[in-house]
Amino acid sequence: MKMLNLLVIIIFLFNFNVSNAKDRNLNSKITKNLRCLICQGQSIHDSDTEFANSLKLVVEKKITEGMSENEIYEFLKTKYGEWILYDPALNQKTYILWLLPLLLFLIGGAIIFKNLKIKKN
Amino acid sequence: MASLIGFYSLFFSLGFSVLILFFSFKNLKNTINFDNKLLSLTFLQLLFIILSFFGLIIAFINSDFSNSTVFNHSHTTKPLFYKISGTWGNHEGSLLLWLLVLSLFIFLFLISSKKQPKKYRVLTLLFQQIIIIGFLIFLIQTSNPFAQIYPVPSEGLGLNPILQDPALAIHPPILYLGYVGSSIIFSSVLAASSTNYISKEWAKHIKQWILISWIFLTLGILLGSIWAYYELGWGGFWFWDPVENVSLMPWLALTTLFHCVLVLEKKLLLTSWVVILSIATFTLSMSGTFLVRSGILNSVHTFANDPERGLYILIFLFTLIFLSLFVFFFFHKTDRQNNSSFFWLSKETSILINNWFMMYFLAVVLIGTIYPIFLDVLTSQKISVGPPFYHKLIIPFLIPFLLAMAIGPKLNWIKSNLQNKSYLLLLFAISLILSFLIIRILEISFLVNTILFTSAFYLFFITLRDFFIKGFKNLAQNIAHFGFSLLILSILFNNFLSNEVITNLKIGETYKSDELTINFEKIEKIKKQNFEAIIGKFNVKSDNELVDILKPELRIYNQPNIVTSEADIKTNLLSDKFMTMNLVQNQEYFNIRYQIKPFMIWIWFSVILISFGGLFSFFKKKYEN
Repeated sequence: MKMLNLLVIIIFLFNFNVSNAKDRNLNSKITKNLRCLICQGQSIHDSDTEFANSLKLVVEKKITEGMSENEIYEFLKTKYGEWILYDPALNQKTYILWLLPLLLFLIGGAIIFKNLKIKKN
Repeated sequence: MASLIGFYSLFFSLGFSVLILFFSFKNLKNTINFDNKLLSLTFLQLLFIILSFFGLIIAFINSDFSNSTVFNHSHTTKPLFYKISGTWGNHEGSLLLWLLVLSLFIFLFLISSKKQPKKYRVLTLLFQQIIIIGFLIFLIQTSNPFAQIYPVPSEGLGLNPILQDPALAIHPPILYLGYVGSSIIFSSVLAASSTNYISKEWAKHIKQWILISWIFLTLGILLGSIWAYYELGWGGFWFWDPVENVSLMPWLALTTLFHCVLVLEKKLLLTSWVVILSIATFTLSMSGTFLVRSGILNSVHTFANDPERGLYILIFLFTLIFLSLFVFFFFHKTDRQNNSSFFWLSKETSILINNWFMMYFLAVVLIGTIYPIFLDVLTSQKISVGPPFYHKLIIPFLIPFLLAMAIGPKLNWIKSNLQNKSYLLLLFAISLILSFLIIRILEISFLVNTILFTSAFYLFFITLRDFFIKGFKNLAQNIAHFGFSLLILSILFNNFLSNEVITNLKIGETYKSDELTINFEKIEKIKKQNFEAIIGKFNVKSDNELVDILKPELRIYNQPNIVTSEADIKTNLLSDKFMTMNLVQNQEYFNIRYQIKPFMIWIWFSVILISFGGLFSFFKKKYEN
């Protein structure tokens, strides 16, 4: 039964990837995750500046060259710095960013659980 | 002249502050009754601040360019409406508005709290005066709205065109009513703490202020969001931009506080937690002002960039935090009766779960907003934290949150069981099947989406059922929760069914795809008082042969000289059709962006419904009293 569930989940995940594999979707997915460096709080996808438009073309070109999503992010990161990515990767610099909220969630849960237990007795 | 009156009024108000402080202390020591002199003084202070504010408005209306605020933010060719709204469309004026609301609220507080203990009322006034004095000095010292320029310039610099908009004209006042409303909660909680008055009566009384603040904050955020949707031209309504986050954080804290106060009112539990939350809400509102006004944030709203101001607000903020911590640790008595036990399956627990998740969402938003700033300051490395970060950390947690929101209100205080509630299971099954079908039809086969849809539908059906079964009982809560489920569902559908076409077209050209054709018929030029516009006319034909005519604009504002792109939006119940047009450099082509955004109007409507829930609760309590 467990194996069956696992199988279903894998099929689900697989389908998701296939259906999203269209180039156009990938392009807008990537450009939505990029900051327009010369705008104020807009993504490349939403901006219409020359910088944004040229970057849209770069992304399109890289997709047709067969680069994967992560390779494109990596490529742009080395060129423009991490500032351009809206989705910061989990690394030494961002452990606190990603994990602190989750840690606080666990602590909050522990506090509530502890109080409930005391009051049950 | 108006500027001069405005300026001196500020000094008079400061004088009244000193008088109020003096008489408050006297009143605390001596008499038994509340000294009505204090009420008159507060009224006079309010009057002078109103006078000052009107002084600034009149300077704006008359385009009095000897006033530097008017010179920097207005222009003679601006329509009257935007001359007036320009008053608070800038740093100095918006702080004057803050001050106005601060003094207005304390006056309203004093006249509506006559049944409350004298000591508590005087102390609330005292704490509020500390905030008012802080803002008065800040205004006079670092951001005088009435600074003079000599020689007097003949023309002003104009207001940023993207701020010249009806929604944005009323967005700041509404939002500030919410922000500043939390100052009353702050002052009141400190006063109640130091007089040991945190009780069921206090909870009942402060709940109304929490609701007022919460309703305005909700509507303020909504207006900002609607504005961003049609004015910024990218068709989104929430970008997790730091300035948006800054308004969301006090909202999350207030919502949590409201739920806690309900427990406090009924069971006298969670007193310390209520105190902490009240302090946190106002601190978050103040930090919001600090973050936006100091120019630390890289965002469209940063129209001030002055470190001196930032430093002042920071010191002021720390003083207030220190003061509140002092009151909390030295005066606040923790729950006197700790014997009030409750079973794990009870309304109390469900509200604790609400608190738990809300605090988590708050932590995500807070850390996501300020972490990049700290990283930049400490290591000078710049990272961006954008929508993907928030989506990844918030969406999975939304699922249990929605489920708890559906089941929580069904539980009783202290202890309950779930017998005779088979409909809970039935509705869950219906939601699950419905979600599964929708996911199949939309071809977004992804496990998380099914569960997310299920939990949102579950809340939707349960609250919908309650409208019929329970009628007017718990109507306020039910409206708000129903609104929230509608909001989540609309956002989900909006997200999955949105469609867009981006293309370059010349006049006369037609874009064709399988689903639609876009014909660029012509452009017209018109001239208005403060801008020239190029209006495009597009005929959009979708597969059902209906033709929509869309007329996006390009506006060339004269003062300051900025080109903006105005979207044209056709709204109906099911979807918005959204088109923007931009110039392509040195070519005869225009860049066209056409979007179909389903259920947009439902997103706005559901937020209105949520705030309506609050409004209903506000008046219901009044009626019962």
